[in-house]
Amino acid sequence: MPGILVYASIGCNAVSMPTREILGMARAIAVKTGEPVTAALLGAGVSPLAQGLIEAGADSVHVCDNDKLGEFHANVYLKILADIAATVKPRIIIFPGEAAALELAPRLAHRLKGGLVTDCIGFEVREDAVIFTKPVYGSKALARMRITSPTALVSVRPRTQEPFGPDQNRKGEVVAVETALGDIEPETRIVERVEEEVFECTLEEANVVVSGGRGLKDTESFGQLRELAALLNGAMGATRVAVDQGMVPPSCQIGLTGKIVAPEVYFAVGISGASQHIAGMSGSKYIVAINSDPDAPIFSISNVGVVEDYRNVMPTLIDELRKALV
Amino acid sequence: MHIVVCTKQIVDPEIPSGEFKVDFKAKRAVQDQGELVLNPYDENAIEVALQLKDRDKDIKVTALTMGGESSQKVLRRALAMGCDEAIWLKDPSFETLDSAGTAAIIAKAIRQAGSADIILCGRQAGDWDMGQVGALLAEDLQIPCIPLAYNIEKKGDALFVKRETENGMAVLEVAMPALANITNSSTNQPRYPSVKGVLMAGRKQIPTFSAGDLSIDAEIQKRVVVEELTLPSYDRQVLFIDGEDGPEKAVNLAAHLIKMNLLK
Repeated sequence: MPGILVYASIGCNAVSMPTREILGMARAIAVKTGEPVTAALLGAGVSPLAQGLIEAGADSVHVCDNDKLGEFHANVYLKILADIAATVKPRIIIFPGEAAALELAPRLAHRLKGGLVTDCIGFEVREDAVIFTKPVYGSKALARMRITSPTALVSVRPRTQEPFGPDQNRKGEVVAVETALGDIEPETRIVERVEEEVFECTLEEANVVVSGGRGLKDTESFGQLRELAALLNGAMGATRVAVDQGMVPPSCQIGLTGKIVAPEVYFAVGISGASQHIAGMSGSKYIVAINSDPDAPIFSISNVGVVEDYRNVMPTLIDELRKALV
Repeated sequence: MHIVVCTKQIVDPEIPSGEFKVDFKAKRAVQDQGELVLNPYDENAIEVALQLKDRDKDIKVTALTMGGESSQKVLRRALAMGCDEAIWLKDPSFETLDSAGTAAIIAKAIRQAGSADIILCGRQAGDWDMGQVGALLAEDLQIPCIPLAYNIEKKGDALFVKRETENGMAVLEVAMPALANITNSSTNQPRYPSVKGVLMAGRKQIPTFSAGDLSIDAEIQKRVVVEELTLPSYDRQVLFIDGEDGPEKAVNLAAHLIKMNLLK
């Protein structure tokens, strides 16, 4: 019976949370259709993780554990993944929307002549097909999409699906994948890697995020945001415009093509509210907006707003909060 | 050396959510709301190509687009920015293709046009936000594909590509021919066309290719179909904080946040 294949993404020697979420999604589909769920696990020294994938919802795991896979190279991983797909013959292949998986999805889609829907945030199981929902037009609209090819591929936005279990009583099959890797070379060579220093906590983990946008005139202003973020045990973010102006590194970018966050409190300082940015923070529990333009779209999605130049607000805000909280 | 930059014309992505109009019957955005513009990430891609050309005058840059009558505008802009040539893929059957169909047609056109040493695509188009065409195109042409690239340097026969990673960046060496999907960076902000550039662009001959010109005679299958478009709703009601001046508003805002017990 055709089934669902899930690509397992590994981070820090553990199955990633987005992988557990898509296994949950696969189980939710399988509960209605009765089809088997298989996980594809590729890497160096990853075999011990197979049982965890079964406990998280996989019925079987196809493992390719090989030293040549220690460093991720899309063309090498693709060869193995295509082999696994040829063996399992799934009707749906699900990728977590992160890192390496995002590179693999469209390339595998081409090899399997399957349609791919990216950035999926929801799904509906119908008799004839599974319908995938994704944001479009910079998240101004939602599209429900049907894949008509025999194999359907989908990459899923993290933090939109419920993980399954884990159920420690689940049993499953572990299959070793024998793809010959002798003749395949990486298509690129990594010359240099630069990892950024992570302040306090990551944007996705922070309970409070303080973000700046087009309205901020200089890097000193971002220093004030950082000060407020530190005071509140939070993290600092920014819009695409701030990144383009060189005021903050790209890893601070919050939005459709940046990080997607949902903290308890989100401060939007000098941010107009372009839909692509809102896409990255509309899940925040409480949104505070400070902008000198009363018509800024950000106010239409905020809980509380201050119509004022941020320079006239920030220093006093930081002082007052410091007095109240320390 | 020849660089091809794939471009797309889209409805202005800066239209605010509250004003954005959807044609529910046609299952796409209303096309004549505001301006039709060159996809912002494609502008970054053109800039990356032109920066390579700035350093080596022998490099030829061709802007390619697939679209109806209005798309001529994006090709003229690409030429005005400094691209040497433009190619227009234009046919009624090209108007509603999905990502796979789009990549297949572009691949055919590139093969027919001759050689391309570097192909650049914006990382995603601001209408469907699928972000697949670049990778599909690379697979079709069987060349390496580098995602999230923002800067390229050429040293001899090799390319050194800077790309974003989860928490930083990496520099990759790749042989040509290769394809890179371009993302925004402070280092690839698109240049403004010069007056001379605009004038020359206006006079440039732009060859167009129909389905027949590309020897496409069969109907192009769609693998992904839009069933429905809906508009999301937002249910927050904003409370504006008052005050005589900025500092007073700040005091009142701080008091409000403390009262709501939102900050620890």
